[in-house]
Amino acid sequence: MRAWIRTSTSAFSQVPLLGWLFGALIAVALEHLVGTPLALALGLPKIPVLFGFVIMLKKPILIPSAILYVLCIYVVPIGVTTRLSISRTNRLAAELFRSPIVISVAVHLALLYAILHMWAGINDYRLLVLKLTLIAIMVTLSLNVINGYMGEFSCSHPGFMALGAYGASVFTVVLFVDDRLFGAAILPPALGPFMFPIALILGGLVASLGALAVAIPSFRTRGDYLAIISLAFMFIVKSLIENLEFVRGPRGLSGQPDWANLPTVFLWTVICVWIINNFVRCTMGKALNAVRDNEMAAEAMTVNTRRTKIVAFLFSAFWAGVAGGLFAHVLGYVNPGTFGIQKLAEVLAMVYFGGLNSVYGAVVGAVSISLLGEVLRPLEIFKWIIIPLLLILVMIFRPTGLIAFKELNVTNLVKPKQNPDEEM
Amino acid sequence: MRKGFLCGVYVLLVIIAFSPSGCGNGETIKIGTIKIGINAPLTGDIPKVGEGTKFAAQMWLEDIQAAGGLEVGGKKYPVELAIEDNESKAESAVKVNTKMITEDEVLVIVGPQASKQAVPAGGIANKYKTPMISPWSTNPDTTKDRPYVFRTPFLDPFQGPVLANFITEEFKFTKSAVLYDVASDYPKGLAEFFKKAWENLHGPGSVVAFESFTTKDADFSSQLTKITNSGAQVLFTPQYYNEVALIVQQAHQLGWKEPIVGSDSWGSAETVQLCGKDCYGLFFSTHYAAAGATGATKEFIDRYKAKFGYVPDDVAALTWDSLRIVQKAIQDTGELTGDLKKDRNRVRDAMGRIEKFKGITGEMTFTEEGDPIKCAVIVRISDAGEFEFYKSVCPTG
Repeated sequence: MRAWIRTSTSAFSQVPLLGWLFGALIAVALEHLVGTPLALALGLPKIPVLFGFVIMLKKPILIPSAILYVLCIYVVPIGVTTRLSISRTNRLAAELFRSPIVISVAVHLALLYAILHMWAGINDYRLLVLKLTLIAIMVTLSLNVINGYMGEFSCSHPGFMALGAYGASVFTVVLFVDDRLFGAAILPPALGPFMFPIALILGGLVASLGALAVAIPSFRTRGDYLAIISLAFMFIVKSLIENLEFVRGPRGLSGQPDWANLPTVFLWTVICVWIINNFVRCTMGKALNAVRDNEMAAEAMTVNTRRTKIVAFLFSAFWAGVAGGLFAHVLGYVNPGTFGIQKLAEVLAMVYFGGLNSVYGAVVGAVSISLLGEVLRPLEIFKWIIIPLLLILVMIFRPTGLIAFKELNVTNLVKPKQNPDEEM
Repeated sequence: MRKGFLCGVYVLLVIIAFSPSGCGNGETIKIGTIKIGINAPLTGDIPKVGEGTKFAAQMWLEDIQAAGGLEVGGKKYPVELAIEDNESKAESAVKVNTKMITEDEVLVIVGPQASKQAVPAGGIANKYKTPMISPWSTNPDTTKDRPYVFRTPFLDPFQGPVLANFITEEFKFTKSAVLYDVASDYPKGLAEFFKKAWENLHGPGSVVAFESFTTKDADFSSQLTKITNSGAQVLFTPQYYNEVALIVQQAHQLGWKEPIVGSDSWGSAETVQLCGKDCYGLFFSTHYAAAGATGATKEFIDRYKAKFGYVPDDVAALTWDSLRIVQKAIQDTGELTGDLKKDRNRVRDAMGRIEKFKGITGEMTFTEEGDPIKCAVIVRISDAGEFEFYKSVCPTG
């Protein structure tokens, strides 16, 4: 028995990423085809929305059915298909690996998108949770550049998000929407979706501009003092927007067009992960680490610390701004109250839960905190006991977060895990 | 050969992935249960509001269950409430609404309470063509251009003039001062409407002090000194209960002797507890008066007090009314078809047709926008610390 377990786990370690994606695709396809009849047969009212957790908490009597459903739809199909297709997927991965890396990555991403699209296609609630999770990944990653890679403690990211959200919203609302605030649309709304990237980039640039206010003081202060400056920046942004009558102050700005659909959000998230991953692995990224570990030594080793800091802040704020723009368009409403201490706590929790100095960590942190928040919603007040408790436990047992200091190497990720010719 | 097969599988899967989902998504409910969603801030900044909402909803459900279900067209349907926590956050309110509409498949949604959540959540309800009624949101945007969204309270553009007229008639004052929170949606809006109404009555410059502060400020001495020195005869402050206590007490310490007038945000049981004797004798406008209530209002208050141990504040009363409106709208449809989409439309139509609905917070008729036309109540805080009915002000025309 034990030997069997060992062989099967060692077999799974040979599954390439392609195999896992393939298995997941089979699982979501299965859910599309037989999800509803299976759920009804198991006595569930309908397909469990978030892997059965929500229904388990609401109606404990359905726990066995929900577990059975998750086993039948996700666990067993993924396990079986990945196990059975190891040699095939490895061979395919090897084939792709021989072609330019771009093609291999594109195939993986297309598969990933197909999985997410199908999973979210079951229910619009899943779609919304997925979109907000992807946006959370972007924010967490951008904060990780400062808090993880550069080792400063920035509290200003909700402020950057707010600037990006308002920048992008004002752009789209002024140009493409008839509303009472800014009058009729200037450009035809049909052009809108094509101009949406410009709106997001504009939001990012506005956030970068705001980041100068934090970047310049960072030349002379570090640690706690910079944290306080950045915290002050967040409050300045919030008060500023509250007092700006042309974006309706505390009442909030609504009427953003519904352009942030899943492909858009997915594409931006992929671009964000890709660029940030490249950024932190290039010379500039290593300079960030040097500044974190010893600023004086870095300076002595010809690292231009001022330039490093200013680039890091502007770059990180840009992505937080883009995420903010997407956030505003997913909700179709934005108000300054959203970007306060609560948001800050949420983002910081994602960064420190997932792990510092790591792209994997940011993704894991953002996904797990977002999903936990959704899954535990029925517990009401106890949710705010369980999530912080988990965070404390993570901090005790892994003080730098779940997956810290781990590089994301795309080549390693997509390469086949066994030599296909070896086995047979 | 094998590879060809594998490629075929991939292609097939991709086709399935990108095709619009056709199967297993039919929007039919098992006819027999009516589901009503409650989108409430059970945690976050205003948990007391969420609590009032939940308790009122539970009381309503008890009534329905005691009657053996909700009778629609001669048939009794059991009712289920889906109470979800929106953490007092805009994005969570949107998630909760989406979840209740697509996952729980509710017929109607009651909530969210605060405008910052009701505005985006209303957009979702309208998008999915699901009727929603907010018991507490006073921001005009909540219902604007949204045929599926309704509300139970009166709006700020109505409340501002009501108070300005009341002060003018009652005290014959001509100079007023306003102290409000500039960072909070509701006080800011109401302060501006009041100023406009007051200046219409007494000419420009008659609001001699228009002072602001920011949420969570606790020291108002500089603003209050300015107000005291401005020669104002009355102070209007549309703040929430915790700030009311601080403002009124500090004003009295600084030698302010004139009346202080408030708005419906004063109408919480906490106001008098925190403020004590300083608040006795002050006036505010609200949706209903607990002390000296009669009929159905009294019955509701007594039941709520017996069950939960305190006098319900306006949120509870408005939630109760909202649920009663929902109940009437469902009953007015005549029958439920079992087709959720159709039923939601029918409920919406029935709700729009409601006229002269007798709620415990007054009589209501909905306008085209889904806003009620109803009367405001002026309440005096008695020397026993109770909210006494003083007079009722109805919209004219």
